[in-house]
Amino acid sequence: MAELMRKPGARLLLHLAIVVAVFVLMMVVNDHVDPLMNYYIALAAMYATAMFGMVILVGLSGQVSLGNGALMAIGGYIFALTSMNWQTVPILGLPWNGWWSMVFAGIGGIVFGLLIGGLGARLTGPYLAGLTLGIAVGIPAIANRFPALFGGENGLTLTVPYPEGGYAAVDAGTDYVDPSLAASSAPVASAFPSQAASVAPGDLLTASNFPSAGPSVAPSVAPGDLLTASNFPSPGASSGAGDLLTASNFPSAGASSGDLLTASNFPSPGVSASAVPDLGGTDVSGGTGDNGFVIEHWQASLAVLVACIVAFMALNLVRGRQGNVWRAVRDDPVAAAVSGISPSTAKVTAFVISSLFAALAGGVFAQILAYVGPGAFGLGLSLSLLVGVVLGGRSSLFGAVIGAVLLVWLPEFVLNLSNDRGWSEQITNNAPNLIYGLLVVLVVLVAPGGIVGSVQSLIAKVTKR
Amino acid sequence: MLSIDDLSVNYGPVKALSHVSLDVPRGEVTAVIGANGAGKSTLMRTLAGLVKPASGSAQLDGNLLTGHKAEDIARMGVALVPEGRSTIPELTVDENLRLGGMWRGRTERAASHAEVFDLFPVLAQRRTMRADTLSGGERQQLAIGRALMCAPECLLLDEPSLGLAPLIVTQILDLVKRLATEVNLAVLLVEQNAVTALREASQGVVLNLGQVVMAGPAAEIASHEELRHAYLGY
Amino acid sequence: MIDFINYLLGGVGSGAIIALMALALVLTWRATRVVNFAQVGQAMFTTFIALSIQTATGNWFVALVGAMVAGAVLGVFVQYLVLRPVSRMDTSGAIIATFGVLIALQAAAGMIWGGDSQAFPQPFNNSAITLFGQEWPLSIYDLVVISLAALMVVGLTLLFTRTSLGLAMRATAFNPEVARLSGIRVSRTLTVGWALAGVVGGVAGVLVAPTSTISPNSFDILLVFAFTAAVIGGLDSLVGAVAMGVGTGLIISLVSGYSDSSNAPVVALVLLAVTLLLKPEGMFGHTKARSV
Repeated sequence: MAELMRKPGARLLLHLAIVVAVFVLMMVVNDHVDPLMNYYIALAAMYATAMFGMVILVGLSGQVSLGNGALMAIGGYIFALTSMNWQTVPILGLPWNGWWSMVFAGIGGIVFGLLIGGLGARLTGPYLAGLTLGIAVGIPAIANRFPALFGGENGLTLTVPYPEGGYAAVDAGTDYVDPSLAASSAPVASAFPSQAASVAPGDLLTASNFPSAGPSVAPSVAPGDLLTASNFPSPGASSGAGDLLTASNFPSAGASSGDLLTASNFPSPGVSASAVPDLGGTDVSGGTGDNGFVIEHWQASLAVLVACIVAFMALNLVRGRQGNVWRAVRDDPVAAAVSGISPSTAKVTAFVISSLFAALAGGVFAQILAYVGPGAFGLGLSLSLLVGVVLGGRSSLFGAVIGAVLLVWLPEFVLNLSNDRGWSEQITNNAPNLIYGLLVVLVVLVAPGGIVGSVQSLIAKVTKR
Repeated sequence: MLSIDDLSVNYGPVKALSHVSLDVPRGEVTAVIGANGAGKSTLMRTLAGLVKPASGSAQLDGNLLTGHKAEDIARMGVALVPEGRSTIPELTVDENLRLGGMWRGRTERAASHAEVFDLFPVLAQRRTMRADTLSGGERQQLAIGRALMCAPECLLLDEPSLGLAPLIVTQILDLVKRLATEVNLAVLLVEQNAVTALREASQGVVLNLGQVVMAGPAAEIASHEELRHAYLGY
Repeated sequence: MIDFINYLLGGVGSGAIIALMALALVLTWRATRVVNFAQVGQAMFTTFIALSIQTATGNWFVALVGAMVAGAVLGVFVQYLVLRPVSRMDTSGAIIATFGVLIALQAAAGMIWGGDSQAFPQPFNNSAITLFGQEWPLSIYDLVVISLAALMVVGLTLLFTRTSLGLAMRATAFNPEVARLSGIRVSRTLTVGWALAGVVGGVAGVLVAPTSTISPNSFDILLVFAFTAAVIGGLDSLVGAVAMGVGTGLIISLVSGYSDSSNAPVVALVLLAVTLLLKPEGMFGHTKARSV
């Protein structure tokens, strides 16, 4: 086995296998849980995406940074603005779809990562922490500064560009079409008995299910066609049949009533603010669309997909040469420099990568919450990310996953406890954070490797005997 | 008297000191010499309480030193002048001196302060100046002065000659010898420069790889042929 | 021109408060080489305690003293439990731990006093003083703030330069090993440093509270301003902290006056970034902020 691993590309394949396996597993899980669980999975995956970056930045590269919340904001806002305003991709002139927004969000992350990293990589410990603290507080404040563009204090509510079945064009033969949506309608429809009456079995995604907000498109589209332009009410744009993912498929923010994809379509997770720390007033209430299309399921699929892609990148970096470079620079920059490694390059690279991941997570955020606003991306978010990686295991990607799950699970757990014991709202809302804070201190004091590190040393102790 | 009994110190797997025993009597200078890495500095730092021994003990006039914190050992009468410039450059000469012996009474401290200025007149001249304006030799005097402010019974000097001109070194060591006899101090002197050390000391101890290889009157050690070749370089 | 002076004067009060907070940060930095990011959480907590005292007794001075005592106790608590056990070498760990404390304190305050913004009663007249027939942008309250802040600064300066305790604290900050060898009880000295920082932070919190509303998160921005001021002044410099604290307050006042108050955090961020880029050791400082 070890021999095999030394072959070039072997590690890459291994990582790919791991990621694909996890993805498939998660998709199966997704199909078998209720929408609330889907939502939690989506959240956890989103956190994990950002936290993979924190593992690289804080854990491997040893740079404690609070800036990733702000970078999520950047990614989220770029996604929101581009998806709200662009019909075609600039410069390239290609038709728009949500992936392009993600790409631009990622580019934004890289650019800001370079900016922040360029300055931050030269700073030591508390100076870097303080600077990124300022960034965490200052960047969301910029959103307030230009209310016309950024929506000010209230943020932007965007209509999420989701098609059923995933982003990719069916006829382009891409990698993901949600089989459960295309195939049987029963498991999905049954989750929403109130909708069942209006949905005929097998008739999941037909034009008739979508109230159209504008002039309907070419009558050459047959009912039962899964993913055609007519399925998406478009405010006046015309497109050919089979055009899947053009801008016209996405009702812009100005679309009128009957709009399918607005914030009101998000069922409330029931836990509101405490499930997503420091969101500040996001209203995700209402029913599910009139079509049996389970939004949360799609959200979870998207989030997991992005998380898996990012995980693949992270795995290759962390468990490859670059990971060693980062660790070397963290542990002994002088020795590293003498060995020919440039510490500042390594540090800036860590910043750029983690910013990219955070920005992508921000893009996912925008699609899950259909909202971006300064309150959602404030200091609390950055602190939550830090808490998650520290508790899970600062230098472990798996630890990031554990941390993400913890971030989503604990508030829910506390809520259940409080319902049983009748705690006041004050206590219930703050208990998770109190626990996080105390745990972080505890971890730093006695178990710096977090959950993953502790388990590893436990195993080492047991196997030594 | 400072008694060191079977002292062993480990830095992880490395045995820095192995079963070192020696007596440092009052009123004279005992020199500890040996090659680099022989364990001389480790010995000093362990006696001062900066390093914890793995086993063994050290006592001053019957009072146990090992196991106590460095600041308490200083208060018990053992003052270390560590290797390198151990003055605080940002503080003035006066302030550096005042660091020593803060637990003592005001009159005693004032008396010690005056004594130090008598011993080292150059310090009196520069008392309000920052320590980083002093020359190397002056700073060494300041470090010793601060140690004296603690009214020690035992003075530990770790390589005081480092980086200093030979004339200055002789001056300082002569002074230390005087102190030992006049104030009845037990002085333990660690030196790379074995010739100088043995000349000033009455007793000598040779350390190699953490162990005592020879102990006795300084003159004997200085004239021992083999030892001279092996450790003293001539 | 009048506007300029008005804004300037108006900023002195908040500048004094920022200066105190920056001072608290510098105190713990000099003592233990740790920037206590939880300082502002401690100040928030003690301010809430002061509010409870104020509500119970109706006496502002008692509340202020209460905040100072609570500040000292909390400072010792945090240092003893959190920072002391974390080894000096592990800077990342120490930074993370201070954020953990901050989170915990904010949550605890929310649990005890609720997350809503609460008003802190104004103990003095906060309207503009009229003197020589002209309305000045300073109130009696502003004068109290400035005097108290000045008093604390003078007191601390005397402590550091004239007393043995102050000397011990400075020595411990510069070279703890030499301090120990001189018989100075280093851990106690550090604890005193943290207690002092807690007192200073507590005063800052009580002073800032009547100027707006308080809530567990409302002090976060003060942390950014105070840290910025401390860095620009030089983390090692008490003088710098005070000077730049006031300076930051003035700049914020000018920015808020001439444009919009929501610009203030951004301006602070830009100032911080520029300082770290060009002169990381600050105007009065001498340690290295940069590694490479």
